[in-house]
Amino acid sequence: MNIFLAALRTAIDAGTVVVCAGMGELLTERVGVLNLGQEGLIGIGAVTAVIVSANSSSPWVALFAGMLAAGVLGLLFATSVVIVRTNQVLTGLAVVLIGVGLSNQLGNDYQGSPVAHTFAPLKVPILADIPQVGPALFDHTLIVYLAYVVLPVVVAIVLFRTRHGMNLRAVGENPAAADAAGINVAGMRVLYTTIGAALSGAGGAFLMLVFTTNWSVNVARGRGWVALAVVIFAAWRPSLLVFGALLFGAMISLGFIAQEQNWGIPSFALTMLPYLVTLALIIIPSALARFGFKVRSSVAPAGLAVPYFREER
Amino acid sequence: MTFVPVAGRRLPSVHLERRLQVEPRRAALVRLLGVVTALLLAGIFLQITGRSSLTLAGDVVRSTFGERRGLEETAVIATPILLDAIAVAIGLRMRIWNIGAEGQFYIGAWAAAGIGIHFHFPTPVLLLLMAAAGVIGGALWMLVPAIARAYWNVNEIITTLLLNFVAVTWVEWFSIDIWRDKQAAVIQATPLVNARLPGLFGSTTLHVGFLLPLALAVVAWYVFRYTRWGFEVDMIGGNPRAAEFVGIPVRRRILTVMLISGAIAGLSGMVHLAGAAGRLQGTISNSYGFSGFIVAALAGGSFVGLVAGGLFIALLLHSGILLQTEGLSVYIVLAIYGLVLVGIAVAEMAARYRIVIASGRSPGASAPTEELP
Repeated sequence: MNIFLAALRTAIDAGTVVVCAGMGELLTERVGVLNLGQEGLIGIGAVTAVIVSANSSSPWVALFAGMLAAGVLGLLFATSVVIVRTNQVLTGLAVVLIGVGLSNQLGNDYQGSPVAHTFAPLKVPILADIPQVGPALFDHTLIVYLAYVVLPVVVAIVLFRTRHGMNLRAVGENPAAADAAGINVAGMRVLYTTIGAALSGAGGAFLMLVFTTNWSVNVARGRGWVALAVVIFAAWRPSLLVFGALLFGAMISLGFIAQEQNWGIPSFALTMLPYLVTLALIIIPSALARFGFKVRSSVAPAGLAVPYFREER
Repeated sequence: MTFVPVAGRRLPSVHLERRLQVEPRRAALVRLLGVVTALLLAGIFLQITGRSSLTLAGDVVRSTFGERRGLEETAVIATPILLDAIAVAIGLRMRIWNIGAEGQFYIGAWAAAGIGIHFHFPTPVLLLLMAAAGVIGGALWMLVPAIARAYWNVNEIITTLLLNFVAVTWVEWFSIDIWRDKQAAVIQATPLVNARLPGLFGSTTLHVGFLLPLALAVVAWYVFRYTRWGFEVDMIGGNPRAAEFVGIPVRRRILTVMLISGAIAGLSGMVHLAGAAGRLQGTISNSYGFSGFIVAALAGGSFVGLVAGGLFIALLLHSGILLQTEGLSVYIVLAIYGLVLVGIAVAEMAARYRIVIASGRSPGASAPTEELP
């Protein structure tokens, strides 16, 4: 396999976490809730996967346990911001602190030892036998295919092709109107914030069960924040989110290659690169629009991060 | 929000009624209640995991309030947190969320270290130059998010946040590699800077930098209370369209406020470097910018509440350091910090409601008969 295909392979793996967490955040923001806690949710998903994997026989159990644990934390967050209506930014940061703190504490005993049960790659019949491209694209674990193909398609269909999805978007855009139309605003918000958190947990579990397969402190390494940025970059669209996550993965993979090949670029510079590129990708479209270029508009759901009070309607 | 028991009409119904106004005293009291509840929960958790939380709490109180050193160390931690909180609060006045105070802190410290390591001027001159470097560094680090927000309407939360990661890596690069102290083999940091802030009241722990956030808080309070500029910024925060109609240069104000915010956060980096840390390293910030952001958001743009909140969070972090010597890990302290944050956030909302028990005979007409806190 030549170097660029190897890079592509790593990029796909590295981007999977961002696809999972980003898709979760996309759903959450589409119902009008801003969950800044991604970093903590990924941590909780990862540590749960490590612990359960050590005490069970199947990586699937570990994956679902990771989703469940992050989902519970997400449910608590959702209850706080939707029912009690606490400030979403503050509560989200609290989720980061709680999630990162708890996961580091619980993971302490697993430091340095490899994860017990991991996912094995699943070759796609025929396609994986294509020379060069095959191994790079079609020799991944099942989760990768689920994250890059099944998840975005399902989310896109639900969001844009079903009545339920229309209701979902209405809750995020104009909760008062949605409420008047008989949609359960609080229920929708709690449900999708919880589902979103569970998806972030899946991202964390993937990190442990496929990507690094080794617990280390602060396991998310900023990927949760990147997921938040990619949602904005993707203009809240599932298809663009996949592209954004892949791009982020490519940056990570570039860092690996530069070290392997001794390109002489300081590793620090490569560590900064994904964040700078993400920053540029967020700013440039808006700047171009300002200078008169026609670019797709990236408008956040109108009800994002605004608590809904029925009596203020 | 109403919880009406469905059993029968004659039963009294319990309502949650929203208050139109929350008196500051009640708000403060309920927040305190939130903090206490969160700490109690944390205590119960620790007790379950087999530690005596009462002993731990006793130790924390004794070594913080019982000794001069404990209070001084808390004040040293409070200094950068308060400065960063002021930086964030100024932005919050016009609803700008600067989550990048952490990054601006790092770059301010980096710029100040660059001057402080390489030049040998008399101490006051060097300190002034370092402060200038910190201010300019912090403001420049904010420049791109500020322009993007002011002129291209790019949300500042994510842009300032992303630059935090870049700033931390940047400082690691310089402290581990480029400016590394070659004599000190063990620590991965730059050499000591050539000028340090003097101690306050002859203390060896607490430096004069502690006075800076207190003075700045007063200045900021005055500016937003009595000056035209402060009023204009507040007005943009209240209603940017209205502000534009009355002729306030909204974009320019956004740009200025964000740059000032970055400059103050940069200054906090310089103050912490010259006052406490002495040398630049990757771990120079104990999440001070992050804590400053939380303090400012909790205080909701109030500069008096901000000082109280900043001192409280510093106390919490300082107890965290103590608890580590008792065998608790830094991570548990982090989680407790998050729990306290939730406690305060919930309390903030709880203060806005009162529980009303109505007799329910004539719906809507009966006067509230009882009021719980």
